[in-house]
Amino acid sequence: MFKKSVLLLALAGVSLSTLAAELRVMTHSSFSLPKERIAEFEKQSGAKLAIIKGGDAGEMLNKLILTRANPVADVVYGIDNTLIGKANAAGVLEATSSKVGRSVAVASLPGAVAIDYGYVTLNIDKAWFANSKLPLPATLDDLTKPAYKNLLVVENPATSSPGLAFLLATIAGKGEEGAFQWWGKLRDNGLKVAKGWSEAYYTDFTRNGGARPIVVSYATSPAAEVFYSKEKLAESPTANLLLKGGVFMQVEGVAKVKGGLQPQLAQQFVDFLRGEAVQKELQTSMWMYPAVAGVALAPVFKHAAQPASFSNPDLKAMQHKTAAWVSRWTRLVIKNAP
Amino acid sequence: MQKVLPLSDFRWLALPPLLFLLLLVGLPLSRLLYEGGLAFSPALLSDAYLQWRLGWSLLQAAATCVLTLLLGLPLAWVLAHFEFRGRALLLRVLMLPFVMPTLVAGLGVLALFGPHGVSGLNLQDTPWLLLYGNLFYNLPLLIRAAVDGFDHVPASRLMVARTLGASRWRAFWRVEWPVVRPWLASALCLIFLYCFSGFGLALLLGGQRYATVEVEIYSLVAYELNLADAGALALLMLLLGAVIALLYALIERRLARPDKRSPPLRQPVQGWPQRLLLLACLLLLALFAAAPLLAVLLRALLADAAAWRVLLQDDTLLALGNTLRFSLLALLLATALGLLHGLAAQRSAGLRALMFLPFMVSPVCVAFGLLLAYPAYSATLALLVAAYALLAYPFVAKAVVSARDALPAALPNAARTLGASPWRVFWRVSLPLMRPALRRGMAFAAATAVGEFAVSLFLSRPEWLTLTTLIYQHLGRPGAANLEAALVLSSVLLLLALLAFMAIEWPEKTHARTS
Repeated sequence: MFKKSVLLLALAGVSLSTLAAELRVMTHSSFSLPKERIAEFEKQSGAKLAIIKGGDAGEMLNKLILTRANPVADVVYGIDNTLIGKANAAGVLEATSSKVGRSVAVASLPGAVAIDYGYVTLNIDKAWFANSKLPLPATLDDLTKPAYKNLLVVENPATSSPGLAFLLATIAGKGEEGAFQWWGKLRDNGLKVAKGWSEAYYTDFTRNGGARPIVVSYATSPAAEVFYSKEKLAESPTANLLLKGGVFMQVEGVAKVKGGLQPQLAQQFVDFLRGEAVQKELQTSMWMYPAVAGVALAPVFKHAAQPASFSNPDLKAMQHKTAAWVSRWTRLVIKNAP
Repeated sequence: MQKVLPLSDFRWLALPPLLFLLLLVGLPLSRLLYEGGLAFSPALLSDAYLQWRLGWSLLQAAATCVLTLLLGLPLAWVLAHFEFRGRALLLRVLMLPFVMPTLVAGLGVLALFGPHGVSGLNLQDTPWLLLYGNLFYNLPLLIRAAVDGFDHVPASRLMVARTLGASRWRAFWRVEWPVVRPWLASALCLIFLYCFSGFGLALLLGGQRYATVEVEIYSLVAYELNLADAGALALLMLLLGAVIALLYALIERRLARPDKRSPPLRQPVQGWPQRLLLLACLLLLALFAAAPLLAVLLRALLADAAAWRVLLQDDTLLALGNTLRFSLLALLLATALGLLHGLAAQRSAGLRALMFLPFMVSPVCVAFGLLLAYPAYSATLALLVAAYALLAYPFVAKAVVSARDALPAALPNAARTLGASPWRVFWRVSLPLMRPALRRGMAFAAATAVGEFAVSLFLSRPEWLTLTTLIYQHLGRPGAANLEAALVLSSVLLLLALLAFMAIEWPEKTHARTS
């Protein structure tokens, strides 16, 4: 009897909380904003924010696509330029725009509102390279040379978004055939493939007890290393290794979900994310650059070299070819096929 | 052969758990298969690479079963035969690997056998590390089940055998082995299914080459939305899992026998040979079950005081509260379902096999299926708790089945003859006799209830933050402070779990006789 009443109470609690006007926001698992900011939006709009985390961005989009007949959210944040084509083609998004802020030149998304951008690139362990006296690789091709054997760990593009972004950058930088030839050589030169970013960074990267001094990560990671250091560091223990064909620019955005129950509130939320407060705070809560021009950069970002160039395939190519590229990569690198 | 009176056939009790399985597994999975259209490409199964993965999944699961049995059975024998200080605590500490988030366990393992491990032995990216990881997670299951089994060996029979001149070895084979066998069967079945469809640790420790089929399914569903191929693979895995579970059920039902209930026989450790034996046993346990945990604890203790300040953060308090709340809710539901299913399953091999269904189905397929089947409930606490309970309840059911098999028929029969109603017999006779096993099952269930499965695959909300989610959040960002926070939080999780195990399995006054 006791058990039953506990369960009933739990169920009742869940249904009661849905009585107030509620805006359901689907996000990827890295979404993070200060609590005060969320509270501020709730106060301004008079609605309750229900933030629903749908896993990694790719997984989140697939959940939206599967539930498009009965949408589980009114607005979605975290769809990026690798996924926007797929999202638009699947018809899960309502074309969304915002009057708030003017986008910086590099950051825009078709049909959605850009909120932030960042770069996926190689990070190195400075101490390891200082100790080994090995010069830093100057090109992607250097990484396939014997001197750099067993030094690189990448994330699997089939299970990780930075992994996918890096694969896309190599394809844009070297051309499809060139890129896969390079991956084949890299495989033979002792490439390590990890499941996701956390695994690569915390079990394979030399900075954290692993055996690989070069890791696919984000261009803001060296700044985050300083921000989350134990004692105040004068400089970051890691650095970006910005090689041609090894930098991908990721733009993340927000859009209303087609068939959502609260289109007005959804629009309010879109504008809220473009507002100055969020644009400032997302820098050190999500480690991305603000998409609105003129917003001051967080001081800690001086520890991260912002890439001057990047190589992205065009949106159409990413929409239509990504799946084939990933399976070709899997065949080549994991299945060890010629 | 004693017969239990027909009135105590509880098969109808299976209705609630079967309904639960239908709602949480059957319907969602069918819905997912329907969505995929079942138009999978036949080329899928002829793919040599996939065949290799399937073969590897089976091989490493079988190898882990054999290894845990070879290593766990002698250890359990010692733990069951000797009384020593701290024994009760040790049995509970043994279950701690179960609550460890995969990535943190991986950090612990690598601190020992990684490129800079204290052992000086670098096993990273070898299958050995993967097997070690599998042992680390599964040894507790086998040892706890085997100790329970040994405790059911009638002391009198063992003493008679020894008095009549049987060697320890002969007494083991002829008296103890037949009693322990069914207890091992269910543990081994669970271990096999766990490793077969295993996901996290194998990939982390063994590298991509040693990925299981479940990894392929995950990638097909979550990234490619190729539900047809994923559904076909999931069905294949389900089929293989079902064969294993059915095999177990038939074996266990055949082997099961009620025992003459008498208190376990435990000797105090006397003399050097016995002390050395116990020491060796503890060292082995330390190496295979405790070392990675100790590595994590040590690293947390060596972290500066600033790292421990994470305990005062709002998020940590929220996570602590949620972890307790969700585990308790899931445990209550899992205990109710497990008790019903376990009691109902005694006569039916099918029901016995079905209780392992939650471990036979592909987790990612169930998660996406639930989303498809019940979109309106997809981000509700009720569904989350139900999902936690789904993975927790087989532990309770398994323990109840084993305990009920061993229940001496004479006692309930006597109570019935004396006019007690079936319910009264259950509450006053059967349940008290099954209590130790039930509590052990509940402790394991509680341990899985804080696990990471539901965290990663289901829709979740920030206000549902649990300790495991928080640990992964910290490990999702660069920086030494995040790593230390994750290690400190993992230590807290271990401590909390140990307290929970002690509370659930409060050492009962044992009536162990010493000879």
